[in-house]
Amino acid sequence: MFETISNLVAALLTLFIFSFLYKENPFYRFAEHLLVGVSMGYAIPLVYNLTFIPYVYQPIFLGHKYVFIIPAFIGILYIFRFSRNYSWLSRYPIVFGMAIVGMGVPLSMNTQVLVQMRSAMAPIQDINSFLIFLGTITILMYFYFSKAHTGLYGKFSKIGVWFMMIGFGASFGYTVMARISLLIGRLQFLVGDVLHLIK
Amino acid sequence: MNFLIKLQSLDRRWIYLLVALAIIIPLLIPFDSKTYTTEPVENIYQKVDSFSGKSNKAILMVFMHDASTMPELFPMEVSVLRHAFERNVKVFTICFTPTAAPLVDYAINTVREQFPDKKSGIDYCNFGYKPAALMVPMVLGMGEDISKAVDIDSEGRKIANLPIMQDIKNYNEMNLIINFSGSDYGYTWITYARSKFGANVAAGVTAVMAADAYPFLQTGQLLGMMAGLKGASEYEKLDDVFASYKDANYPSGRPFSKEIINETIANDTFKISDQKVYAFKKARIGMNSQSAAHILIIIFIIIGNLGYFIEKSKQKQDQ
Repeated sequence: MFETISNLVAALLTLFIFSFLYKENPFYRFAEHLLVGVSMGYAIPLVYNLTFIPYVYQPIFLGHKYVFIIPAFIGILYIFRFSRNYSWLSRYPIVFGMAIVGMGVPLSMNTQVLVQMRSAMAPIQDINSFLIFLGTITILMYFYFSKAHTGLYGKFSKIGVWFMMIGFGASFGYTVMARISLLIGRLQFLVGDVLHLIK
Repeated sequence: MNFLIKLQSLDRRWIYLLVALAIIIPLLIPFDSKTYTTEPVENIYQKVDSFSGKSNKAILMVFMHDASTMPELFPMEVSVLRHAFERNVKVFTICFTPTAAPLVDYAINTVREQFPDKKSGIDYCNFGYKPAALMVPMVLGMGEDISKAVDIDSEGRKIANLPIMQDIKNYNEMNLIINFSGSDYGYTWITYARSKFGANVAAGVTAVMAADAYPFLQTGQLLGMMAGLKGASEYEKLDDVFASYKDANYPSGRPFSKEIINETIANDTFKISDQKVYAFKKARIGMNSQSAAHILIIIFIIIGNLGYFIEKSKQKQDQ
């Protein structure tokens, strides 16, 4: 019974959202605002129960680990973001956030740059590795702006543009596939879970 | 010719209607399309398979998404869970966004309907929702000791006391992390768990993110990748052909073999309609609609371009 009702509500809201494809209307707006409200309404008590209680309340008030008051206090300073006069206080918790970013720099350098470079320097063994070599070199040439893109240099940088266009095309193709998949998901729900027409 | 030019000013809502029909009709009248598997998906499958029946090996499934990307990611999660349950591989799950928490339960419950003997704390363990701010410390902490880094599971039990933790300490044992996300490709896991501890990282990504993840796949930093609905459908197929296959020679599923998968595709065995559980063929049914929609879009692009060039040449002639 509960499943039937929840499916009907979800189906109705799905149709409200789809109605935007025809034109902007109050049903669409209602469903859109409801989504934002429900998401926040769901997240706040969950975060309170699973973050505030185990990481702030329990250690301080039940575990008597009073040292936790210091990070909790620093965290509270975020609230001053909304104050015009005291917004500078909110920068202190941000500093600790940035420390994590700093910690990640050497490892990110490894994963994002060094490993990628090492892989790009691998010997050319087949057509794929040759294409990677050619694409890397010609795209780097395209993004080198201290030399005019004319003559032979311009021709090579043009090859780089072609490589990028193919890359963007592949990326866009994937995007189309993703968006269609989302539509399929909703229609599978409407046709299968609600109307039970998929065998 | 005039027809093609007129199509240039066609109301876009007719196109929406045609796309909707192209998707709905294959859902209503399903057909057995072939599913070709690719190496990035096979690599994940083989890695999970290599942990089969080993008490000192486990996988970690990271749910980093909300309901909006479920159509692509949920079938992947169901397929991996099904594979792990089928092959007695220990599974841990975790999420760092509040809206992913119910999806973890939903995925586990969906698969458990077919595997009622699988028990929480013994065969699988849901670490539950953890604050995103603690993600990096937890990823690093799990490299030393999982039970200290995570402490309690979603049911509030001490992880160190759970039977599933026997023989499992850190990434040496929980040696495959599969990150399911609509907005990243397991970057944190690659950066911290792989770089520092050598953990194997794989990704289940939405198709939008696939292009960004390929450099990490090419450099071997990602062990494998499932990209969008297609990736999910491939894993479903591998589950059907190997993990769930039972006969006298293979009472608990047969091992992966490239020859067998090629043979099943060539002979058109293991059809979508052979699978009776809807949750285990959802991605493949979806791919039927995906193919129809792609063909329609290609036709639209060709017609649109033809109309554009005809109109352009007509304008030139008029001048």
